[in-house]
Amino acid sequence: MEAIRVENLSVAYENNLIIENMNLSFPKGKISIVIGANGCGKSTLLKSIGRVIKPIGGEIFINGKNIKNQKEKNIATQVAFLPQGPTAPSGITVKELVAYGRYPHQKIIGGLKAHDKDVIQWAIEETGLSDFADREIENLSGGQRQRAWIAMTLAQETDIIMLDEPTTYLDMSYQLEILQLLEKLNREKNITIIMVLHELNNACRFANNIIGLKKGKIVFKGTPKEAITEENLREIYGIEVNLQLSENKAYPICIDYELIRG
Amino acid sequence: MLQNNKPTITFIVCSAFLLIIGLFLALSLGVTPIGISEIWESIFNYSEALELMLIRDVRIPRVLSVIFVGGILGVIGAMIQGVTRNPIAEPSLLGVSQGATLVIAIFYAVGITINTSNVMLASLIGAIFSGAIAIGFISRKENKSSITKILLAGTAMSTFFISLTTIIGLLSNRAQFIAFWVAGGFRNATWSDFRLVAVVGTIGLIIAILLSKKINVLSLGDDVAISLGENPERIRLIAFLVMIPMCAAAVAVGKNIGFVGLIVPQIVRKALGEDYRKNILCSFLLGAVLLVYSDIAARMIYIPYEAPIGIFTALIGVPFFIAVARRERG
Amino acid sequence: MKKRSIRKVALVLLILLVAAIILYLSWGTYRVSPTDIIKTLMGRGARLQNAAILNLRLPRMLVAISVGIALSTAGALLQTITKNELADSGIIGINAGAAVAAVVFISLKTANYYSTLGALSVYVLPFLATAGAGLSATLMYLLSSRNGIKPRRLLLIGLGINAGLNAFITFFTFRGGVGDYNRVLVWISGSLWGAGWSYAKIIVPLVAIMFVLVLLNYKKLDVLNLSDGNATSLGVQVDKERKRFLTYAVILAGSATAFAGNVSFIGLIAPNIARRVVGPFHKNLLVISAIIGVVITLVADAVSRNLFSPIELPVGITISVFGVPYFIYLMMREN
Repeated sequence: MEAIRVENLSVAYENNLIIENMNLSFPKGKISIVIGANGCGKSTLLKSIGRVIKPIGGEIFINGKNIKNQKEKNIATQVAFLPQGPTAPSGITVKELVAYGRYPHQKIIGGLKAHDKDVIQWAIEETGLSDFADREIENLSGGQRQRAWIAMTLAQETDIIMLDEPTTYLDMSYQLEILQLLEKLNREKNITIIMVLHELNNACRFANNIIGLKKGKIVFKGTPKEAITEENLREIYGIEVNLQLSENKAYPICIDYELIRG
Repeated sequence: MLQNNKPTITFIVCSAFLLIIGLFLALSLGVTPIGISEIWESIFNYSEALELMLIRDVRIPRVLSVIFVGGILGVIGAMIQGVTRNPIAEPSLLGVSQGATLVIAIFYAVGITINTSNVMLASLIGAIFSGAIAIGFISRKENKSSITKILLAGTAMSTFFISLTTIIGLLSNRAQFIAFWVAGGFRNATWSDFRLVAVVGTIGLIIAILLSKKINVLSLGDDVAISLGENPERIRLIAFLVMIPMCAAAVAVGKNIGFVGLIVPQIVRKALGEDYRKNILCSFLLGAVLLVYSDIAARMIYIPYEAPIGIFTALIGVPFFIAVARRERG
Repeated sequence: MKKRSIRKVALVLLILLVAAIILYLSWGTYRVSPTDIIKTLMGRGARLQNAAILNLRLPRMLVAISVGIALSTAGALLQTITKNELADSGIIGINAGAAVAAVVFISLKTANYYSTLGALSVYVLPFLATAGAGLSATLMYLLSSRNGIKPRRLLLIGLGINAGLNAFITFFTFRGGVGDYNRVLVWISGSLWGAGWSYAKIIVPLVAIMFVLVLLNYKKLDVLNLSDGNATSLGVQVDKERKRFLTYAVILAGSATAFAGNVSFIGLIAPNIARRVVGPFHKNLLVISAIIGVVITLVADAVSRNLFSPIELPVGITISVFGVPYFIYLMMREN
């Protein structure tokens, strides 16, 4: 069962062809992570699915239906997208930010219904921000703030969440906080998570399904254990790596790497 | 470095050529068209004939003033852009010219007689005041890279000064006069005006050329400049100290003329590159050319009336501005 | 930056509003006391009072109120669209576009003061002005869209267009020679001189309808405050909605400029104060900003009319003189 599928997707950005004729599907209920070097098209891929960039060719299917045939608000109740470096007007509290997530479910006029308030409450609890619900988001730590944004995407009540580099710029502890939260959501609520990550080892640890891109093309995909090999990493990053299995033998870790000479 | 002199020499020769043509056009065209031989005669033979007096006492000082004001504005533009690394920095966009205009209006309303030295004094006071504000704003760390912010502040300040100027004009019942000032023009340019801008312009040009090597270093960024042994703050200070009297003189004689300092350095940079040792002189020449032809247009387009010269500089300047704005990342 | 309760704020503002109205109606070459104002409004005033209030000040006040609402709402919309708190329809050339259309239309129609426009012309004027504003906005939009609109670039280009259009207005009004500077002033700096019932009849319903229309969209406007990715994720078609709200802003700004000339800074000051007092959510923001806009306009116009009587300052100039320092203050704070 696929959550999202792209067929013959071609995307250009500022006159450069970034993705050309890509075919890819993201399985439902799994955590899929896209990795690759800078400029390989991973953010572009997510942004195209998230309708931020219009593709120049190809089709995108969400839950089996072509997005061209669906209304924006309808899509918004199926997929939530958290872009990189999101901004919000200054002075709003966590609760107010999370409330934004209810927008696709609301009518034009009318405030938050009881159900809306329940969902907001739930989202804040899930992300562990109950104590900070009334605090302004500028006064939170980096990790807490990112959690608040994730709470907003949760409040959208979708079963697919896409995140573009949700942990870049965060300290290691915050990175882990976020990734473990997403893992929990996937495990307990069966939410499909699709992310772009920069850090290789985090990607290996948390992905069920890992996809490596280079210059807009898929180089490999599969479980981390299968797909993360020295050859594949050489291909997409141009580095020689030293791989080892983790303590619990569940995923590979890159313990050292060198630039390829020559 | 030296092998690149050919484009510069071409530029200088072309500008000089255009300038000379413009000079003659300015002298001969007008409500009373005057032929070249008569121009020649009026320069070399003193005569009471009306036309020759027209040339000698009106058109010659006028066109010479225009040349120097244009040159001054060009040089100021080049210096500001070099020193602030900001393509949109320009005295009229930063409110400096308008501040000078305001003080002039105050002097006039209060009843001080209008002659070159009084106007220059007023203009200088105004330019110092508004220049200090503009500099203060540009130098703040947060604003250094934000062109939008600097421009917005400049627009605000210039609106502020123009508003006050207008109020003074209305209250002292001199609205017409004020309007003319605000729009810019050389209608009453006299020989003393010319002397003012010639002196200020020449001294300013020389100092600017002497500073130009340091300005080159500044273009690498303050940090790099410091590690190369220069003092960016001091260079900026000296540059501004030179620019303010130049701007004051330009406003005193040419009144409120915008955009020259924006257009000219951009063109020069495109044509000759980033070397301020060449650019400053070329900016002077190009500014002079630009303004000479604008003044001719201002005099001829609604003959026998005069249109404000600022319109023509705006006509060319605004598309330039927009082109620069389009390239900016904000 | 404390957010106070909306009720307290609204109460304070309504008191200010009433005070402003009383000030406006009573201050003038012919003073009218507040009790007499009420009498006149109820139809029992003396003839002189009727003339002063009913024929002159009341309609002008209604126009001023409409202008205040229109410009502050346009400003709020522009600030949301450009994601910049410093946007204002005057600064970015939308008002100037309207003014150009109006100036051209009027000089084609009459050779004299605009107050001698025929009755039909008064109906046509706001449409033309809106069209002019629309052209200016379209130009700005087109010039700033390279692979999608970058909100910041919009502002910068707006500044350029404003400079260009103002130069054109100056050019156009000077073409007859020295020209009548007062006429130029009206258009470039905004003035409510001559605003009577013929204007009020048109602008009041126009602004009322537009305001309600904008207010109904408060949720969408809130979502537009987030980054584009978020807004799209929540189901808003960002580009389409931005264009739509830009159109509303153009209509509001155009109508205001048609009758009052280019008044800058209200659209900047009012929403900014409102935002600081009640926060960025549009349901409250739009209403509070409108009230503040009205108060500012009324006070400014009363001052403009009376401070240097018999000389009347253009209201836009008065607002500029107070608006700019506040604007600079806002810019300093933005860090």
